[in-house]
Amino acid sequence: MVAKALKNFFKRIFSNLFSQKRELKLGFYGPPNAGKTSLANRICKDFTGEEIGNVSKIPHETRAVQFKEKVEISYKGKTMTFKIVDTPGIATKIDYEDFLKYKLKKGEAKTRAKEATQGVVESIKWLDDMDVVVVVLDATQNPYNQVNITIIGNLVARKIPVLIVANKIDMKKANIKKVEAAFPEYDVVGISAKYGKNLEEFYESVFKLAKRV
Amino acid sequence: MSHQCVRCSRIIPQGSKEILEGCKECKGRFFFYIKDEQLEEINERIIEIPAEQRKSIEKDIREMAGITDEEAPVILDIESIRVTGEGKFELDLAKLFRRDRPLIYKLEEGKYIIDLASTLRVNLKDLKEIRNPDEDEIDVRKK
Repeated sequence: MVAKALKNFFKRIFSNLFSQKRELKLGFYGPPNAGKTSLANRICKDFTGEEIGNVSKIPHETRAVQFKEKVEISYKGKTMTFKIVDTPGIATKIDYEDFLKYKLKKGEAKTRAKEATQGVVESIKWLDDMDVVVVVLDATQNPYNQVNITIIGNLVARKIPVLIVANKIDMKKANIKKVEAAFPEYDVVGISAKYGKNLEEFYESVFKLAKRV
Repeated sequence: MSHQCVRCSRIIPQGSKEILEGCKECKGRFFFYIKDEQLEEINERIIEIPAEQRKSIEKDIREMAGITDEEAPVILDIESIRVTGEGKFELDLAKLFRRDRPLIYKLEEGKYIIDLASTLRVNLKDLKEIRNPDEDEIDVRKK
């Protein structure tokens, strides 16, 4: 009886040790300019002191998958290790003319469009490798669109746990309720990656989700 | 209104049991509504390639993809990326998310590019090499 209890005790300790040591792959997915890199930067900066990539007002700034390994996130005394994977924005249409209004030269804009297209393909290829995915949406935009539904639908089909982040809540036009209404079956956390608003709730949700893996 | 499976992009007729039970092919339970006029458009796209061109396009694709087996099926009426002009791309996400289909770029009628890396299912580690698919990666071949 005692031996059994002791065995169970050690088993629990060891499994806890292993589960903490295992690096979970945490992917950031979503449409362009939603704030995936801003959020990934904030997390990486808070826990490693380094950022993951550049951010810009021009859509499709991230055109290649970028990642940071062994990011130890601590929240309320608990620590989990993640591989943070920041992906290029997923879009159904990429047109170089959309970049011209940001004062990009024609040639630069065309290259950006080409790289952005390749980036979408790369994002999707990495999806199968993810343990947990955070879908970052711009809360000032209409959440009902093909990109969001396709991403979330495919995550569910692949049985990858999803957390939806409604970013940019610092902006007047932001509407978390609309995002919640669009995806009622998922946990939706409203944050501002730029100003670091409501990140506690975000970490709590990530930890909750990571435990399910 | 008909539906399209978000996961495998199959068109499912209106009122089908599959909407309740999940897609027959991939068991997906997410569907887009397809308006009748959109459906017409989709159907039109499929017959876009005239029968007489099919053979030569098929030959090109076999060459590009390095398929030597004449019997191996090549699907002609799918394209995951349509190039509508220089620096202008339309992406079919439902098709891109499918794991069992090669990545096909369509430039214009009769011009296709198949991403060999995705066709041959490279490791994620090798992905870096297919970045920047400039002139050397995108091999434009006329029919």
